[in-house]
Amino acid sequence: MAPRIGIAGIGHCRFGNSSDYDLVDVIAYSANDALYDAGGLALRKQVDQVFVGNMAGGMFNHVTSAASALVSRMDMEPCPAELIENGPASGASAIKMGYMAIAAGMADVVLVAAGEVMRSVSGWEATNIVATMSHTEAEYNMGLTLPGFAGMFTRLYMEKYGMTERDLALVAVKDHANGALNKYAHVQLPVTIEAIADGPEANIVNNYIAEPLRMYSTCPITDGSAAVILVNMDSPKAKLFTKKPIMRIAGIGSATDTHCVHNRKDPLVLDAVRLSSQMAYKMAGIGPKDISFAELHDAFVIFELLNSEECGFFERGKSFIGVRNHETDIGGRIPINPSGGLKAKGHPVGATGVSQVVELVRQLRGEAEEGRQVKDPKYGMAVNFGGFGNNVITTIVAKD
Amino acid sequence: MIDFSVYDEQFPHISGWKCQKCGTIYYPAPMLCKKCDSRRDPTTGKGWEEFNLEGPCKLLTWTRVWNLPEGFNRKFLMFGMVEFPNGLRASGRLEAEGDPVIGSTLTASVIEADERPGKPVKVFLFS
Ligand SMILES: [Zn+2]
Repeated sequence: MAPRIGIAGIGHCRFGNSSDYDLVDVIAYSANDALYDAGGLALRKQVDQVFVGNMAGGMFNHVTSAASALVSRMDMEPCPAELIENGPASGASAIKMGYMAIAAGMADVVLVAAGEVMRSVSGWEATNIVATMSHTEAEYNMGLTLPGFAGMFTRLYMEKYGMTERDLALVAVKDHANGALNKYAHVQLPVTIEAIADGPEANIVNNYIAEPLRMYSTCPITDGSAAVILVNMDSPKAKLFTKKPIMRIAGIGSATDTHCVHNRKDPLVLDAVRLSSQMAYKMAGIGPKDISFAELHDAFVIFELLNSEECGFFERGKSFIGVRNHETDIGGRIPINPSGGLKAKGHPVGATGVSQVVELVRQLRGEAEEGRQVKDPKYGMAVNFGGFGNNVITTIVAKD
Repeated sequence: MIDFSVYDEQFPHISGWKCQKCGTIYYPAPMLCKKCDSRRDPTTGKGWEEFNLEGPCKLLTWTRVWNLPEGFNRKFLMFGMVEFPNGLRASGRLEAEGDPVIGSTLTASVIEADERPGKPVKVFLFS
């Protein structure tokens, strides 16, 4: 029987442009914040293990071995430290590794810190670096990028279920309304449906990126970091973490799918999302109806819709109807991406999974900003994608 | 033991692969057959039949990508996903007048592209 494992501290920087700063400093900032939130920087000496989530520091910043650098920069030697890379799900994977280390009895306190500095290169170079996670011969070499795949994927969904481009814009309007209230979000400006879909200049304001995906269907390129302190709640060390209530990790699931998107039986079915969420539900002993709100990986808004179906919040092909009916708004039946999601908060690839879990904790503690605080939440769920849905981690955090 | 240094591809084409033991076909190449567990050695191809993946195919979905980086010298690039009559699917570039129709029949050929740095790469062109 695994011990109860929870989150005792959270840290997060304002997402945006950190390209003038060193990647390791950017990650260390949020790590210090998490220690401070947990009770103070002296707690770093209680950390038994560090996991750093980062996707491509080697390519974006010419920085490798960021975990070794981080412990030294934070005066934490000789604490064991490893870098975890799982594409844009590196952050959630690092949390999963932290959970496993505690469950295995090898640590009682784990610092998980994750970050990415992508704006050190041009927008196209960043898109190109992210595309290296696709199949080299059959996808990357074709010139395909993640927006290209998402465009093809969105068209299939529209053809099959009758969703319109306006429905995509409605998701963005909802995400930006939430992001505008989130002090950590990259984009803190709300947008109106008139500006990006209905108005006479919408086609210019909201131009095509990869048809039918437009600018407001796509996340920005963002730098940033986030961190959490994981604690074995049944260990003596847990008594050192009393500043904030510890939020328990109730379930973690993860699953993989075919590397090539075209090799999926139905490219619109995200098996890895469904299977990872089912694993997480099973571990937590709950179902979709018990979830109070969810942070779903919406690098492209179509993913938010698909994820919300695979996680069991909506029937297949019905999620966009739920958005039309405001079911995913704050105060709706199942608030989705109260943080603004990747769409508004931003998507520093390696940091995103930890950032999502930081949002779960903020909401569960009741620390989210006024206007985007979900009422009395009990369970929060995060879905983090590595690859084009081919390596997915679902994390459920509970307020006991 | 495998020596990748002797591997020097001679033919400007894109291959599908057939497991000779059970007949299952693949694209791109697997390292083992999911049906009969036969191993594939990428240097010799022994036990596997290589065939050109080209010719008629059905368009499954497509996109038009705008704002291309330097090197492409065009306003947009179209991409598609297709299915061949043998059931294999592939993603690649698409050339069409106006908006293509999902379900229409196209022809897959192979070109070499050199927009990205490094060696030229083989690219499907569906037209
Ligand atoms: Zn076989």
